[in-house]
Amino acid sequence: MPSDRQTQYRWKYLWAGAALAAFGMLLAAIAASAERRVLELLEQLSLSGIGWGVLATLVKAVVTVGRTSASAPAFAPTVGRVWASAAGLWILGWTLIGTSIRYLSPPAQAPSPAHGAPLFRRLARYRDFDWGTLLAYGGGVLASELALIVLHTALVTGVRFGRVLENRSDAWQVPPPVAFAISLLVAFAIAFAAGFLGAARAKRLATPEATLGLLYFGLPIPLLLSALSANPDAQLRIGYRLREIWYLAGLLGRPELGYWLVYLGLALMIFLGITTGFVATGSGRMDLRSGFELFIARRHVSVFRPRLLLSVLAILMFGIIPPLIVYAMVRAAEAAVEQTRIRALGLADPLKATEALHHWKTREQSPTAMMTTLSVGGVGVGVMALIIVLSVMSGFEADLQQKIIGTNAQVVVSKYADSFSEYREVIDKVREMRGVVGETPFILNEVMISSGQNIAGVIIKGIDPASVGNVTDLPKNILPGGSLDNLSHPEKIIARPISNTSSPEPAPGAVRTERDPPTPVFQGIIVGRELAGSLHVNVGDRVDIISPLGGELGPQGPVPKSRPFRVAGIFYSGMYEYDAKFVYILLETAQKFFNMEGVSGVEVRVADVDDARRVAKAITEQLDGWPYRTRDWGEMNRNLFSALRLEKLVMGIILTIIVIVAGGLIVATVIMLVLEKRKEIAVLKALGVPDGGIVKIFLTEGLQIGIAGGLLGLLSGLSWCLLIEKIGIKLDPQVYYIPELPVKIEPLQTVIPVLIAVLVTYLASIYPALKASQVEPVEGLRSE
Amino acid sequence: MIGLEIRNLFKSYFLHGKRIDVLRGVSLDLAAGELVSLVGASGSGKSTFLHVIGLLDAPAAGEIRFNGRDLFEMSDPAVADFRNRTIGFVFQSHYLLPEFTALENVAMPALIQRWERGPAVRRARELLLRVGLEKRIDHRPGELSGGEAQRVALARALVLKPALLLADEPTGNLDPVTGEGIHQLLREVNRELGITAIVVTHNEALAESMPRRLRLLDGQVFPS
Repeated sequence: MPSDRQTQYRWKYLWAGAALAAFGMLLAAIAASAERRVLELLEQLSLSGIGWGVLATLVKAVVTVGRTSASAPAFAPTVGRVWASAAGLWILGWTLIGTSIRYLSPPAQAPSPAHGAPLFRRLARYRDFDWGTLLAYGGGVLASELALIVLHTALVTGVRFGRVLENRSDAWQVPPPVAFAISLLVAFAIAFAAGFLGAARAKRLATPEATLGLLYFGLPIPLLLSALSANPDAQLRIGYRLREIWYLAGLLGRPELGYWLVYLGLALMIFLGITTGFVATGSGRMDLRSGFELFIARRHVSVFRPRLLLSVLAILMFGIIPPLIVYAMVRAAEAAVEQTRIRALGLADPLKATEALHHWKTREQSPTAMMTTLSVGGVGVGVMALIIVLSVMSGFEADLQQKIIGTNAQVVVSKYADSFSEYREVIDKVREMRGVVGETPFILNEVMISSGQNIAGVIIKGIDPASVGNVTDLPKNILPGGSLDNLSHPEKIIARPISNTSSPEPAPGAVRTERDPPTPVFQGIIVGRELAGSLHVNVGDRVDIISPLGGELGPQGPVPKSRPFRVAGIFYSGMYEYDAKFVYILLETAQKFFNMEGVSGVEVRVADVDDARRVAKAITEQLDGWPYRTRDWGEMNRNLFSALRLEKLVMGIILTIIVIVAGGLIVATVIMLVLEKRKEIAVLKALGVPDGGIVKIFLTEGLQIGIAGGLLGLLSGLSWCLLIEKIGIKLDPQVYYIPELPVKIEPLQTVIPVLIAVLVTYLASIYPALKASQVEPVEGLRSE
Repeated sequence: MIGLEIRNLFKSYFLHGKRIDVLRGVSLDLAAGELVSLVGASGSGKSTFLHVIGLLDAPAAGEIRFNGRDLFEMSDPAVADFRNRTIGFVFQSHYLLPEFTALENVAMPALIQRWERGPAVRRARELLLRVGLEKRIDHRPGELSGGEAQRVALARALVLKPALLLADEPTGNLDPVTGEGIHQLLREVNRELGITAIVVTHNEALAESMPRRLRLLDGQVFPS
């Protein structure tokens, strides 16, 4: 046919033009290398890794070469001319390329019999571009971006009635993460609505408009923001108020990456809106019902069969091999019974036997049913893994948190500079407050502890045995054999005979009692289990505390102060760091030892751990602020808990990839379904199902798999968590400091994986469903 | 009264890269309620003609009006709705949905039109009774004989009382006796409901029994 040769290329012109344009680009790059900041900007863009990362790296390489080769001072004045010639060459090159392509009119043919007849009306009116739709999509993405920026800035900086308040505390102000979440939701809603309305109005997907809208209306703002983030000066000058937005993204280390993630999210929402709008108006008017679509989908993929659900659940709960063995056994038994029955039947009536045999053989499943089971299993595994891993990580976090706040208080009140001797009044004030359930004074210092040849640096804490139990778990953590009471009554400590032989002389400062036993009475001390182990001491043994401070002056300057104590008890908190580093003595003893009038601070226990920050703030206000200050446990251990959160986030992302892989399985399954059902799609179209209805059918089929998999994953994940919680999995004490795998089931954490699974399967089914709707009725009907 | 007006219809399809002009300016007028048979050689474009009338296939040029309405002016959803309400199709092969029972298959067009399940099933049951299949209501297509399946397909085509029935060799896969039964049924339905019907067939004898007979030859329709 001559009609397929209508374009003629003149290759010489084309290549010359391409070379010229490339040379123009090179010149532009050289000119750019003379400009400052270009390099930094490229650096940022090349690392952003979305789309143009490779390209930007290439350009950067050229610029770097240009920069090193061109001597900047001599080059500088001619920059303008270089830019101009670069542009000229660029335009000239493209003009050459343009002229090198010619369209030839096809050779004359005899006119077809339809020559001059009116064109098929629908083809004549055919138009695949609509400015209104472009405006809806592009305007939607732009509006959502602007809404996100404006709303977030407003919420974070406390703008009220359109102006920034000088006194921020009385404006409605929310912390950045909450503000970000709110504005992101609003922006998502706007993007979704724009996509929905655009598609509903156009009654088609309008892919060209969507692409153009997202590229031309959506890209400028993230591009601008990325460029700004690469240039701190400009950022400070133009968009200093935007810092609240990149603040959050900046926590991830790469602010501009945050922009692009948000942009991708918005694009995704537009896409979801478009498909939903298209599906909803597929029958010509808004129609969100899905009666017959669901009816058909449920026959195509009968996911909610007890047999399928039970077998997937069995595999999720017990692994692949045991259910497989059971299945094989059941099948074998069934076959034996059935064949015996058929044979018996056949002896009486051969025809009935063949019928029974036929039914027995046609029970085999189709490949699509197999794929469906696999997909459900895949989604289930992903969701289950997410739930279990996140719960175990939460368990670790909760365990750690409990140990940390069990040993240290939840809120600590301390005082700047001055001696904190009025602590009793402070305690009285704090006790009155709502949300406070316990308070105790303490002294904290660092000393050396020694026993015989063993020595260790420890943190010593002076405590009030009467009230310490209200704030920390110390009394509960004392191992049998020792007692917290021994601190107040040192004479009750029974000395171990062996340790005394090393020190026949009573040390200075030892308290003598009337009973005059062979062993002197020392003040009691409570040490951690690990420390006791490394010092080789037990309850009743003597240890010495040495402090460089507060000793008398000797001939060569201050002499370290040393004092003997007797181990009154050993505690085990479960935190290695604490068990190896902490020792406790009586508050009064500590005051005497460190020559202190007051205390280091007051520890407070609050009713609700998660409310500690608010209570801490309230305490500061109650005490009129300076010189007092409060810190809560979250603040004191911020690094640790941030690390844990980050770890959980990363783990969640990695495991979500499993769900996405399962989503790929769903794409394959639904595509197989579409191929298998081509004929039926054609028939359904002939019966009057609109394109939107077909999309609905196959979306529902994918969603069924997702929902079934998600629910099975939820069920098995929760069961596993409960199993671990109730029965427990022993951890190797040589490796882990905790005896059992901790689990904490959080409702949000179990629901989110299911939602992710459903979303992923929905997204995964969109493409095959659209493909299904594009099946031409004639094509499907012709196949036979 | 003119029911179906077809003007200057052109349609080509491509076979091994060659354009084959099957319809070359077909024009045809059908009165409302008319029963017409269409015969022609294999590959003469009978099925294509029927598909174009039924809006399952797009022509290159031409015009079709049904009861004064220009069919090619409609939007996609309107076309789907038109196929659902106004046209009933019967194909050479029954094309029943294999996962559904005879009753559900017949009820499907009504369900697509968002009828409630109850009325749709009741109407489908009436139709199955009319074609004499009350005993086969809960059987799936795989369990029906060829003639039975074709009768179910006819019932499905008639369930929404369409104004236009397009039958594409409905008896092509059936033995003469069963085929005659289907034709008998078509004639009865045409008489009772006043449906305009075009029946494509290979069987000259059956074609002769229709009130009006057409022949497709060289892309044109002639009376035969």
